[in-house]
Amino acid sequence: MPFETVNSKVVRAQVTPQRAVLARRGAMLGLTGEVVFRPVQGQGAGVGGRIGAALASESNAMMATTGSGSVLYGFRGLHVTVLDLDGREQLFVEADRLLAHDADLQTSVMFLGSGGLRGAVRGAATGQGLFTTQLSGVGAVALLSHGGAFPLQVSRGESVGVDPQAYVGHTGQLDVDLKAKVGWRDAVGKGSGEAFQLQVTGSGTVYVQASEKKF
Amino acid sequence: MKITSGDTYSAATLPSGDNVNAYAFCVDLQGEWFVKKGAMIAHYGTVTFEAVTAYTSTRAFMASRFSSPIYVQDWVVASGNGKVLLADRGFDVNSYDLDDGNLTIRAHNLLGFAPTLDLKQSIVPGFVSLFGTGTFLASSNGPVIFVEPPFRADPEALLGWADCPSPAIHYDTEWMAASLGGMLRGALGRESGEERQYAFVGAGTILLQSSEIVREDPALLRIIEQQTHSLSTGQVGALGQRLVARAQQAQQ
Amino acid sequence: MASLTADGRILNVDLHGDVVRAAQGSMVAYTGNVDFKGAGMGGGDGFRAALKRKAAGESLQLMECSGSGRAYLAVDAQYVSVVDLANDTLSVESESVLAVTPGLKLDVKFAGLGGAMAGQGVATTTVTGTGQVALLSDGPMIRLEVVPGQPLVVDPQAFVASSGQLSTSIVSGVSWRSVVGEGSGEAFSMKFDGSGLVCIQPAER
Repeated sequence: MPFETVNSKVVRAQVTPQRAVLARRGAMLGLTGEVVFRPVQGQGAGVGGRIGAALASESNAMMATTGSGSVLYGFRGLHVTVLDLDGREQLFVEADRLLAHDADLQTSVMFLGSGGLRGAVRGAATGQGLFTTQLSGVGAVALLSHGGAFPLQVSRGESVGVDPQAYVGHTGQLDVDLKAKVGWRDAVGKGSGEAFQLQVTGSGTVYVQASEKKF
Repeated sequence: MKITSGDTYSAATLPSGDNVNAYAFCVDLQGEWFVKKGAMIAHYGTVTFEAVTAYTSTRAFMASRFSSPIYVQDWVVASGNGKVLLADRGFDVNSYDLDDGNLTIRAHNLLGFAPTLDLKQSIVPGFVSLFGTGTFLASSNGPVIFVEPPFRADPEALLGWADCPSPAIHYDTEWMAASLGGMLRGALGRESGEERQYAFVGAGTILLQSSEIVREDPALLRIIEQQTHSLSTGQVGALGQRLVARAQQAQQ
Repeated sequence: MASLTADGRILNVDLHGDVVRAAQGSMVAYTGNVDFKGAGMGGGDGFRAALKRKAAGESLQLMECSGSGRAYLAVDAQYVSVVDLANDTLSVESESVLAVTPGLKLDVKFAGLGGAMAGQGVATTTVTGTGQVALLSDGPMIRLEVVPGQPLVVDPQAFVASSGQLSTSIVSGVSWRSVVGEGSGEAFSMKFDGSGLVCIQPAER
């Protein structure tokens, strides 16, 4: 059952005993009915080991909404984009851009960066690299973005460069690689440290937000 | 020179008492209106803006509209004739008409109101109540969502309510137990909406918005400081230490 | 010829082997062969320009987008509007300039409007010539006409751009006979007289 779009920043979910919703902590704006919230730890396996999972949890604190009622979700006035997964494609979303999703969807967390687990630890500390949540199955997903997200189609043979701060997620057969690029720092902002871009190749859709600042 | 999209307005063609776009409202001022400091973005005609506090002696009835010393400093009186454009942080702006009614709204989001209305501080910190007949303007982070009781709202998402009684605080004790048991981060930090909600019952309307990015509200600081007057010296010291610890932890 | 198209909060920059100057850091995505590199303040060359750069601070940092392809630009989820200039002049609040096509000349003035402006640099960028300018605004831009006899008063923090035969003066906004308390208000406003167009945003900076 999809999320109902109330406005560009708020969605409504009907929670039933058959259908629970997993949402980001702090995302509940209001509710009617007999609905219960419980914190959940992390989002399944994926990043190597307990350290990896703990790191993933840092950026991905979730809660389960169960019971019977109607819940409004939103977060800090950020724009909400709803995607319905039909089971054929997987959706990759930057972990802390996930507002809410059907609890039935299978999830795991991946780290988009370089250097394996050590890279993940370093990346989480310095912000170089992205934790992405991989979702599959049939169900609805609500994503957060600053200013709204727009889709960019990528076809074989093409390459699309994306500012990591503006990357929301992607579907399809895409390779998303984090690469250092000379001169990129001029393009994507005055941050310190090395400058990274996401290079997207393959066939699919990448979602980009209308702002160069993450949130 | 050509600008793609949108219309150009003049003093004559600006709407009277209506939105210019979702984020700006035009008041056709003929007399006086209370306006939040900083809300005026442009105006035609002859309009002056004076702090409400300046009216305490000369036009006492104006100042008496504010029975709250906490908020009076945030307001000015716009007087004169002309089209006045009001806006707030790029938020959605809407006008509301009260007909011998009442509405309580988050003080930070109230932009302006006709002097026929009375403003009082609400028992719920951060909110003010308007009574009487007249028009007022309020901003919201995204379009306003209207719901009816029974309803529980995240305190940060609550924009206001009309006609129903003031809300009670509902604590989700099981959430809190689960949080402490699991040693989750944030146990010492700000309460999240899942732990504590404002619960509404009765007949009326509740106004909601997507939760706002917490912005510094000097009025809230005044309110809370006012409430500490009832603490003993020992309690004041203990509170001070806890606040300092929290500020230091937040900076890490 | 490079062309700019506004799409809500995104600016589409289509490059055909030429160079578009844009606000540094504003690129969110691109396709094709596009290069980005820093281009300084856009205040001209020479010692005078270097002084302007220092005075106007960081309000207008530009980069050059060159090559063939499309660059998608955005800043802070602000709305984008495109203005076509045909041998015209447009005065823009420097922070609100997103991009300009080649052939337009940029000049940055740092107006210290007397003592009242301490700490608040009013950096205005003047854009002259023929081409396209992309402007940013916090919320959709509102365009207001100024005609002789009907001056317009504007909150400087809402001011985005102006054009035409306008004279600008400062008027004090609020009388602070009893100045107690925090928060800023309209300490002063900009008054436009004459004949022209003023663009404002529904927000204060």
